[in-house]
Amino acid sequence: MRPKHWFYTFPLRMRSLFKRHQVERDLSDEFQFHLEQKSQQYMAGGLSAEEARRKARREFGGLEVSKENCRDARRVSHIQDLLQDLGFGLRMLRNSPAFALVAILTLALGIGANTAIFSVIHGVLLRPLPFPKQDQLMMLWEKNDDGTRSNTSWATFMDWNKLNHSFAGVAAVSFWSPTIVGAHDAETLNGFRVSSAFFDLMGVKLERGRNFLPLEDVRGNNFVAILSYGFWQQRFGGDVEIIGKPVQLGTRAYTVVGILPADFPSVLSFDPRKPAEIYTPLAYDATLPYACRNCHHLRAVARLKDTVSMAQADAEMKQISYALYHEYPTDYSAPGVILTPLEDYLVGDVRPVLWALLGSVGFVLLIACVNVANLLLAWGARRQREVALRAALGAGRTRMVRQFLTESLLLSLLGGGFGLFLAWGGVALLQRIHLANLPRLQDVHIDSWTFAFSFGVSLLTGLAFGLLPAFRASKLDLNETLKESGKSSAGKERYRLRGALVFADVALALLLLTGAGLMMKSFVRLLEVNPGFDPSHTLTLTLSLWGPKSADAPAIGFFEEVLQRVRTLPGVESAGIVSQLPLGGNMDRYGVHVEGKSLPNPEEDPSADRYSITPGYLRAMRIPLLRGREFDERDVVTSPQVALVNESMAREFWPGEDPVGKRFRMGDTKGPWKTVVGVVGDVLHKGLDAPHTIQVYLPNTQFTDSMVILAVRTSNDQALIAAAVRSEIVALDPQVPVSEVATMDEVISASVANQRFGALLFLLFGAIALVLTAVGIYGVISYGVAQRTHEIGIRLALGAARHEVLSLIVREAMKPALLGAALGLCAAFGLTRLLSRLLYNVKPTDPIVFVAVLLLLIGVALLASYIPARRATRVDPMIALRYE
Amino acid sequence: MSKPSDLVQGTLDLLLLKILALEPMNGYAISLRLKQVSGDVLQVSDGSLYPALHKLEQEGWITAEWKPTENNRRAKFYSLTRLGQGQLEKESANWSRLSSAISNVVKLKEA
Repeated sequence: MRPKHWFYTFPLRMRSLFKRHQVERDLSDEFQFHLEQKSQQYMAGGLSAEEARRKARREFGGLEVSKENCRDARRVSHIQDLLQDLGFGLRMLRNSPAFALVAILTLALGIGANTAIFSVIHGVLLRPLPFPKQDQLMMLWEKNDDGTRSNTSWATFMDWNKLNHSFAGVAAVSFWSPTIVGAHDAETLNGFRVSSAFFDLMGVKLERGRNFLPLEDVRGNNFVAILSYGFWQQRFGGDVEIIGKPVQLGTRAYTVVGILPADFPSVLSFDPRKPAEIYTPLAYDATLPYACRNCHHLRAVARLKDTVSMAQADAEMKQISYALYHEYPTDYSAPGVILTPLEDYLVGDVRPVLWALLGSVGFVLLIACVNVANLLLAWGARRQREVALRAALGAGRTRMVRQFLTESLLLSLLGGGFGLFLAWGGVALLQRIHLANLPRLQDVHIDSWTFAFSFGVSLLTGLAFGLLPAFRASKLDLNETLKESGKSSAGKERYRLRGALVFADVALALLLLTGAGLMMKSFVRLLEVNPGFDPSHTLTLTLSLWGPKSADAPAIGFFEEVLQRVRTLPGVESAGIVSQLPLGGNMDRYGVHVEGKSLPNPEEDPSADRYSITPGYLRAMRIPLLRGREFDERDVVTSPQVALVNESMAREFWPGEDPVGKRFRMGDTKGPWKTVVGVVGDVLHKGLDAPHTIQVYLPNTQFTDSMVILAVRTSNDQALIAAAVRSEIVALDPQVPVSEVATMDEVISASVANQRFGALLFLLFGAIALVLTAVGIYGVISYGVAQRTHEIGIRLALGAARHEVLSLIVREAMKPALLGAALGLCAAFGLTRLLSRLLYNVKPTDPIVFVAVLLLLIGVALLASYIPARRATRVDPMIALRYE
Repeated sequence: MSKPSDLVQGTLDLLLLKILALEPMNGYAISLRLKQVSGDVLQVSDGSLYPALHKLEQEGWITAEWKPTENNRRAKFYSLTRLGQGQLEKESANWSRLSSAISNVVKLKEA
């Protein structure tokens, strides 16, 4: 391809490419002319016309071979060959639509599932956060005495900020749930209070407006807010004049000073479905009661300096924390600081399940490859005549292998194309039905990465299942082909190959189904856990009071009124109020200092979950009262301080004694003593798979929250009652926002969303694998039986009973299947331990699951081989004998 | 019909180019001329003639045109291009070098 030839040869090449018919005709004409001239020459030499023509023809040699050689000489480039192969391949596929359809569908399922999972993994795990140098962003935690992470406090944060040399900046964050007040209604927002340095530290460039100023991070100047992009669009319609305008939050007007960009992820929200909507400066100072050193309710975010590594920062923070621990021994339960990269914090929890799913779906693709390879082998066997013809015409082995490979790639690319479509649908479905609570899920798109992955996987798949059949099909044993009978050595080898494919299918399917079985069992076990209350027929609503109504006395009165009204509604069995809902995501913990059992360093005393409740709550949730009494009208703000403790707390502090009458202090070691008046059953708070914790219940008259949950036990339609309750509250005060209306069943369901996601998808992929295996075995047996029709006929004619022949076929079919099952079992035994982190209360080698899956698979394999075998034995022996 | 001997196999291009340098002609005429000029020693099989011609055309050393013959039949006539002229010279020079080297070896007297 020397460049100076181009202007001569380029038109030539283009002609060869685009005007093939013309070129072919010219070639024929040229040869024709030659032959005529030769014939004339011989005729002139004395031969008859007929003889002359024949002699000329003979001397020329293989016309077609020559033509092929000419074509080779004119080869434009591999493009023309490729196009030719593609065209031919398409035609062949169109001639066998059933085969093509099955193959493409199988591939679409396999490649599509992989693409879907990959796009989720890419969007959630692999795609970097939209922060510059995000590897430098760390979360800083204090350490509990059991080594777990703990929130930090204002005083500690200030010291960290002052003393460190590792970080370019440190910011503190606290939850904030302001109520935005409109003309007629109010709504509770998800928000955060942040240090003024926060957005700069993250490296966020605001969409509009400006960041907080340091002087706004001071109490009194802090009535400014930055809105999230989504909230700005949704609530204010993307009003471009919003900067500088006030927004009414509670009793105060906050000035909007900035809007965040659309791609700013909600990295601090616990629930990915409730992204942050509004931010305001933290504005703490040392005079505030909750700025104390042991008030652990803040989270800290920091950015490493360019020159400092995480290990170095870790070492320095450790030193600093030891210094602080030394200086304030009663304010810390343990020294030490834990650094977590921000990305880990955001997605670390879901990494295991997502990678496990990718592994699972990879096996599904392998099964699909095995099946399609099988199909291709059968198809190739049918095309032996064609192969022989082409070989006779001069096509080399390489050329034919290339042709078959092109067809395989065509199949896999078509399958990949449909698979992409399936993947798109799958991801959209996932996002819409909130099946999983994955962070960043809403940002997952089918993008260029997904395309690249799909294309790459399609190519690899096409090569994987296509190579072997391509080589087999192009191998030519002319004698065998022309013989036309089914029994040949090539036939026997094909038979063994098909057996190998059944073996592979079953082994892979067993592996997959075992994983699926374990995940399902784990999920079922999780759901069987007793949460400590009765979630059926229980409605919950969140109320938050603001302004003057949020003070203790009016709040208590308001809640009392609400309960009175709600209890009179038809269909309401009982109702109560609680400050934190078990499994609801919110938590409040305090150190408990039990009389006579408190440690010298009060920070080392254990922490309990704190619930403030009204009478009626325990009944509404059906939390059992085990000893003593519930709270009632006697317990008011002025009466002696009382408390209920849960079973675990009773057991921990007063084993073998009666806890009723015992005393403890909560939080403040100088605070009033609280007397235990009763013991209630444990509830699970953090999750169904969380350990039991010690829990304390206080009367809401003695510890009042302004944001509470109303729990209502209903005896009929919950939706109706929810509407009724809401209207009661609105009637009482339309400016009290009612949010998060959900039944306890829904709350529990949401708390296990990710486990359900994992289990369901594993089940889905297991089911696909099972179907593919069944279809594969069915196909193999059908084909094999069709090949052996002659032999079957002979057996039957010679007197074999139908059921003998049937069992022969089935037994031969089951041999590779059983071997495959054995291999699959061994592989499963070794590999399922990779899932152990995802399993709840289930061993990765759970024998019941293994046995059940084995039986299922063997049963399916039996059925898949029985049906075609039965059909075969139904054949009339006379017909079978005549079948060649 | 024998193919040119193995040694000459690679020089088929040279032969074709030379013949076409003299005058444009169609494939059949080329094969006749070659046989004629070489005294029946060099005979190209019809099956290998055309692929060779097509390759030369693809390289740009000869170009083709459909023209009527004397008997008013349509035939594809090849002619040498300027590039082909250069290639011919190059290959001629190579051939001279090769053949004289071989002659030198063959002419060596036994010691």
